[in-house]
Amino acid sequence: MEHYLILARSVTYAQRMQKALDRAGISSRVYRAPRDLTDLGCAYAVRIAPADLREALLTLHREKLNPVQIFAYHRGLYREAGNDLP
Amino acid sequence: MIYLDSAATTFQKPPEVSAAVRGALRSLTTPGRGAYPEALQAAETVLACREEIAALYGVARPENVVLTLNATHALNLAIKSAVPRGGRVVISGYEHNAVTRPLAALRAEIHVADAPLFQEAATMAAFDRLITPGTSAAICNHVSNVFGYIQPVEWLSELCRKRGVPLILDLSQSAGVIALDLSKLRPAFAAMPGHKGLYGPQGTGALICGEGVETAPLLEGGTGALSVSQQMPDFLPERLESGTPNMPGIAGLLEGVRFVRRKGVEALCGAERRLTMLAADGLREIPGVRVFARPGCGDQSAVLSFLPPAGDVERLGDALGERGIAVRAGLHCAPLAHRTAGTLRTGTVRVSFSAFNTAEEVRRFLSAVREILRDNPEFRL
Repeated sequence: MEHYLILARSVTYAQRMQKALDRAGISSRVYRAPRDLTDLGCAYAVRIAPADLREALLTLHREKLNPVQIFAYHRGLYREAGNDLP
Repeated sequence: MIYLDSAATTFQKPPEVSAAVRGALRSLTTPGRGAYPEALQAAETVLACREEIAALYGVARPENVVLTLNATHALNLAIKSAVPRGGRVVISGYEHNAVTRPLAALRAEIHVADAPLFQEAATMAAFDRLITPGTSAAICNHVSNVFGYIQPVEWLSELCRKRGVPLILDLSQSAGVIALDLSKLRPAFAAMPGHKGLYGPQGTGALICGEGVETAPLLEGGTGALSVSQQMPDFLPERLESGTPNMPGIAGLLEGVRFVRRKGVEALCGAERRLTMLAADGLREIPGVRVFARPGCGDQSAVLSFLPPAGDVERLGDALGERGIAVRAGLHCAPLAHRTAGTLRTGTVRVSFSAFNTAEEVRRFLSAVREILRDNPEFRL
């Protein structure tokens, strides 16, 4: 299923992101980031639906919870989201 | 037992605290190491604990709340972050060994803002004289752990800000007892235990770090983040927290802080102060007893020291203990405070209160002191 993964600095930040998104009415879930997405190893990520990306990023920006990286999951592969971000 | 040693540790805890400790042992694993439910639940508990402490002190960002083993751990982190080896430091005359020993280990140039007990103006004048450009840090406890003296930390924080000197606050005796808005005071660091006025279990504490302050880890190790890097993360709280945390303790501390916020710091403080005044007034009526309190106990929290007319304070502490009354006698790990107050040779007997003490307990304590002093010639002049 297509989704976005918002990488956080640590579990503390991932959970703060999840709470902030929850307050904004955006459904999300905390996961361990796939190993090949993190050069420095051991990271947490928040998974959201594609339709929520724009509002999610606005919410996180407002809360000063900046993502480390954002990945799009499409046809079984993750790729870093860049120019396509809202 | 009548427990009057809450300045060391609050012994009676809200029932939610022990329930949370037991629950954590049954259902929480290590936070920040996995994404299965028990690990995420543990991480949520840790975050909730940071959030409660942040809310108690008006701190905007819960990640600035570093969870520690106790206030000593928190103070060591703060001092070793702010003070370079040989650095110039100004401290109050009422500091605990948790401050003075790390400074001695750093061979810091220590200047003591010496002032008589309960003399706020003199305390302020001493800090004003000593805090000069080039001072690495000023360190002050909010409340003396020996005498309950409430020091003028709001004023001191403003002085430090004006002079560009980082302030480290030791909130060991005031956390959960006296309200402070750290968003206004903006100290570099504020250290506190979890096991005293916050009603958490022993082995818990917190360090609130100011926005953007430089921090130095005491321990390096696993943090569950950025594992490939051999440097500690450069962000809080993980930078200062490595290794598996005390999950049962943190779960208990969370409930302790919730208890404090539910009851209200002002209400808790008011009740404890009334007991302090009752004890001070009762002790003053006993001939020859020296009580370290001003009438009305202004500038004083729920910590009270006294001296018998003669004899060893430890023997009086023991005698009270034999009657089922727990107090603390001696130097209270704060020789500097005793030197400042002139009680280094004798030490003092200290009583301290919590939300679970009653006026009846204070009356029984006073009766016991009267009887012991009456029946034992060693305490008479």
